Amino acid sequence: MGWEEKQVRGYGEFAETAQRCHGRPIFALFCGDKDAAGRSWCPDCVTAEPIVRKELHNMPDGSVFIYCLVGDRAYWKDPNNEFRKNLKLTGVPTLLKYGTPQKLVEEECFKAELVRMLFTED
Amino acid sequence: QEAAKYDKKVMVLDFVTPTPLGTSWGLGGTCVNVGCIPKKLMHQAALLGQALQDARKFGWQFTEEVKHNWMTMTESVQNYIGSLNWGYRVALREKKVTYENAYGEFVGPHTVKATNKRGVEKLYTAKRFLIATGERPRYLGIPGDKEYCISSDDLFSLPYCPGKTLVVGASYVALECAGFLAGLGLDVTVMVRSILLRGFDQDIASKIGEYMEEHGINFIKQFVPIKVEQIEEGTPGRLKVTAQSTVGNQIIEGEYNTVLLAIGRDACTRKIGLDKVGVKINEKTGKIPVNDEEQTNVPYIYAIGDILQDKLELTPVAIQAGRLLIRRLYGGATTKCDYVNVPTTVFTPLEYGACGYSEERAVEEFGEENIEVYHSYFWPLEWTVPSRDNNKCYAKIICNIKDNERVIGFHVLGPNAGEVTQGFAAAIKCGMTKEQLDGTIGIHPVCAEV
Repeated sequence: MGWEEKQVRGYGEFAETAQRCHGRPIFALFCGDKDAAGRSWCPDCVTAEPIVRKELHNMPDGSVFIYCLVGDRAYWKDPNNEFRKNLKLTGVPTLLKYGTPQKLVEEECFKAELVRMLFTED
Repeated sequence: QEAAKYDKKVMVLDFVTPTPLGTSWGLGGTCVNVGCIPKKLMHQAALLGQALQDARKFGWQFTEEVKHNWMTMTESVQNYIGSLNWGYRVALREKKVTYENAYGEFVGPHTVKATNKRGVEKLYTAKRFLIATGERPRYLGIPGDKEYCISSDDLFSLPYCPGKTLVVGASYVALECAGFLAGLGLDVTVMVRSILLRGFDQDIASKIGEYMEEHGINFIKQFVPIKVEQIEEGTPGRLKVTAQSTVGNQIIEGEYNTVLLAIGRDACTRKIGLDKVGVKINEKTGKIPVNDEEQTNVPYIYAIGDILQDKLELTPVAIQAGRLLIRRLYGGATTKCDYVNVPTTVFTPLEYGACGYSEERAVEEFGEENIEVYHSYFWPLEWTVPSRDNNKCYAKIICNIKDNERVIGFHVLGPNAGEVTQGFAAAIKCGMTKEQLDGTIGIHPVCAEV
């Protein structure tokens, strides 16, 4: 059965997508927006993305991987943005298992072993 | 984690055998999952309930009646615990410590067998082993105990409000749980076989009991349950408890939604194959005797924590002993763990902090004529306006006359007892005398200045 990826932008799209996939394991990677050339304003996100993508095959069957662009730098820096308020995100990139306290933040996302652990942990 | 710092190859085997009701939990041991952490959070929930009552006297106006939702509290607490479990997983991984969620037991010299929850077995060998398996709640051994009663292992993640509860036991676990359950508005009864808080200063223990009784907790003294039957299934259901007096033939019956057993904890040392490697344990208690370097009678096997014989059963003690042990083994250090003058706190509704000797132990060890006890009742300023009890908070110090009136025991009964005691523990470790204590000017207005 494998897994599927959904790409969303902004909190509203994220929440809606997560809701629709209720009942399946949901993993989400939050990154800063990308410019026309496809590069994110967040250098750590640029580093983390390929590392995370390489480990996606470790997710359990039926999983959903939500790739979510949070917004531009100004939006992210606002301490009251919806991601901070509702998901308690403290930094980008953040990789988390939705609905659990399991998450990896910033440099933790650079470690393939930790990413693998998040995807395969019971 | 400490051993990994010295570049040792380290593996941790952690496995939780589910309770009779099926409860289990993640990495972190008792303290994190079913002990100190959820206990203190729920105690805090109860204190906040009290604070809301006091608030009106300080001028806060709210018309709504204040109610408590068990599920909301429990979900928040469990969520926090989950983040701790995950945090430990990440920390171990980052420090390259191999972690297996499997039940470890010795099968031969230098060899353990690890069985995971699917029954898959693996064998591992190592140069040295450290046993820190802790304890689990004891059951009464009466009809209906495992089927219908819960223990602290189940309480902190109970998926429904316990309702009218009977707490069996008079340990600090029993009293702390009874305390916060009552503070959350539940009807609580405590059934005690003999004395409260065995091993603690009895003068203080009776004050704690009195306070709890005056604040709505029922005590049934000198009785033990002999049978638990189910009247009605449910979440919670209804249970009938039959109990017998310990000083006569009287039998009583009572109906409760939940029966919480807190009569003691037994060391998890009987089923880990210690006999296969020759580690001696105390057959009666299951505890492991070790020398002052935490070594068992088998030189390559060490032990720390609640399973040790004659040592304090406290999380920080186990942590300290573990760290120092590793530093001695691999870091060339020589410091041994100091088990004397360890401060503790009991988080009953009226908190109790202590460090050093109880009055009874001091009299026993030094003789009544050689000790001097200084004591005082006090009324926390914060309790004055809401008209809370003015004669319950209490502090006492016990001094050794023969040794410059050195302070050998510190006891305080009142709010924030843990915070107050920590500082005095450091002073006692430095050998503070009564004169030095008198010479220290108090901070005003705080409870600790007394």
